Amino acid sequence: MLKVVEETKKAFLTGNETIAWAALAAGADIMFGYPITPQNEVMHYWTRLAPKYGRDFLQTEDEISAGFTVCGAVQAGKKAFTATAGPGNVLMQEPFGMAEAMRLPIFAVIQQRGGPSSGTVVYSQQEVALTTYGGNGEGFRIVYSTATHQEIYDYTIKGFNVAWKYRWPTFLLGDGYQAKMREPLEMYDPEERGIKLEPTYPLVGLPGKIGEDREPQHLCNIYSLEEELYDVVTRLAAEYEKIVPELIEWQEHSCEDADIIILTHGIVSRAADDAVKALRAQGIKAGYFRPITLRPYPAQQLREAIAKSGAKKLLIAESSYGQFERLTKQEIYGETIKIETLYMPGVGIVDYDIINKVKSVL
Amino acid sequence: MALVRIALAGEGGQGVQSVAEILAEAAYNENKQAIYIPNFGLEQRGGVSIAFIQVSDSRIGAPKFNKADVVIAMSHRAVARTATYSDKNTLFVYDDGFDVDPEDLPKEAKQIIAMPAINTANNELHPRVFNIIIMGAVIGLTNVVSFEAAKEALEHKLGSKFEKNPDLRELNFKALEIGKQLAENALKEGVAR
Repeated sequence: MLKVVEETKKAFLTGNETIAWAALAAGADIMFGYPITPQNEVMHYWTRLAPKYGRDFLQTEDEISAGFTVCGAVQAGKKAFTATAGPGNVLMQEPFGMAEAMRLPIFAVIQQRGGPSSGTVVYSQQEVALTTYGGNGEGFRIVYSTATHQEIYDYTIKGFNVAWKYRWPTFLLGDGYQAKMREPLEMYDPEERGIKLEPTYPLVGLPGKIGEDREPQHLCNIYSLEEELYDVVTRLAAEYEKIVPELIEWQEHSCEDADIIILTHGIVSRAADDAVKALRAQGIKAGYFRPITLRPYPAQQLREAIAKSGAKKLLIAESSYGQFERLTKQEIYGETIKIETLYMPGVGIVDYDIINKVKSVL
Repeated sequence: MALVRIALAGEGGQGVQSVAEILAEAAYNENKQAIYIPNFGLEQRGGVSIAFIQVSDSRIGAPKFNKADVVIAMSHRAVARTATYSDKNTLFVYDDGFDVDPEDLPKEAKQIIAMPAINTANNELHPRVFNIIIMGAVIGLTNVVSFEAAKEALEHKLGSKFEKNPDLRELNFKALEIGKQLAENALKEGVAR
C-alpha cells in the first residue's frame, strides 16, 4: 500500500481535511457518505485523495443508507467509515443501533451543528445526547470528544483501531468550528510512531463448512423472544462494562487545591484551560477537568478530582442546554458538590465567559 | 508576540476569506500559532462575510472571540455588522468610500480609522486588488506577519497566475505595499475617539 505520510510533517489544515488525511493514514478502505454541512469537506477531500491511494468512496441516497453501507462493508472486512451532522446523525441512529447489536466495528465522525431539528448549519455541542445514547439501545458506544486538530488526527487513527479491537461502534465528536477552522498540526505515519494498525477481517462468508469446520456466525439484531433479548443485552452490557477501564480518557490539571472545578468537553475545553490559567493568575483557585471519552465517561476520575480538591463548586460549561450536564450528573450520582452551569446553546464559549461566570458564583 | 485577534468583514466576492486564509498561512509559515475560521452559516449567502483570525507565539484557545484587536469593515453593511467586535482596545477600520451613519460605528474603540482603500484600488491600481490592499493594511496595523512572509504567501497562492502574467505579481505586491502605507498613515492621522 502506498504510504500516505512518508515523513512526519507540519500542516495547516481545516478539521475536515485533517479527518480525510487521518483516515487515509489509518488505512481506511472506503467512505460512505451523504452531504451535510458542516462535514461536507470530509467527503470532498476524501474523494480527491482516496483514488491516489487506491481507496473508495460511495455517495449513497441518504444518511440511513450511508450508515447501513458502512455496517455492510465492515462485515466484508473493510475498514469503512462515514461522517455526518445534525439531521444526518438522527437518520444514522438506526444503523448505529444495529452496529451496537451486532458488534460492528464502524467508525463515524459527527460534526455537531445547532438544533432542534435542522437548526443551523453552524456550530454547537447539541449532539452529545444523540451521539452517546441515541437509538433504541443502551449506548454501547465509544465517543471521543476532540478539542484540537492534532487530536482530530490522533483520535481518527485511534478510533479505527479501537473499533476493530473491541468491536463497538466508535465516534469522533467534533463540531462546526473544528470542521471549518484552520490550525497547525503534525501529520505522521502511525506505524512509524509504533501505533499498530488493527487488522481487519471479514465477519461473514467465512471459509469452511458450517457445523463441520466451524460454528455458524450469528450476527443477529432481531430477537423473537423477550427473554432472549434480555440475555443478549445483559451479555452486551457486561462485555462493554468490562473494557471501560481500558477505554476511558480524560485531562485534568490544577484540581489538587481547587475551590471550583471547571468541567467542559470538546472545543470549549480550550477556553476552560485559558480561563483556569487566568483565574489562577488572579489568585482564584480554579481546576480543569475534561472528559475526552464521553462514552465511557471518566466518572471515577471526576469523583476522585472532586474528593482530593475538596472543591465546593463544579461549573459545567457547554454550547448546549444541559446535555453535558445531564450526562455528567448521571455518572456522578451521589456527589454533593454544588453544580453551577453556563449554558450557551449554539454559540461559542470564550475564556472571558467562563471567568465571568466563575466570579459570579464564587 | 502576544495574541492578536483580527476580524475582517465584507461582501461575498470581495475576497475577505481569501485574504484571511493567506494571512493565516503566512503566520503559520513564520512558525507562529494561527487559527482562521470563516462564518460559514447561511448568512454568508447574501449576508456579510466575516473571517476570524488569531495569531500568537503560544497556543491559542477558543477559535472565535467576542472582541477583536483589529476590525476591518470592507463594505457599508459590514460596519454595523462588526461594531459588536469592538471595545476600548480595538482599532476599528472602515473604508471612507461610503457614507457611514455615525450610529453604525462602534460605541467603543481605541481608534476609528477611515481608509481610502476602495478609491485607491479603483483609481490607482485595479479593483481586483482591493482585498490585497486590505491585506497590506492588516500588516501595517498589526505586524502579525512580516511583509516578506506576506509576499511569499501571495506567491504561493497566486503563483500560477503570476507565471502567466507577471504584471499581476507586480500589481499585487504594489497593492500590498500601498495597503501597508495607507494603514500606517491612517494610524497617525486617524480620528481618535
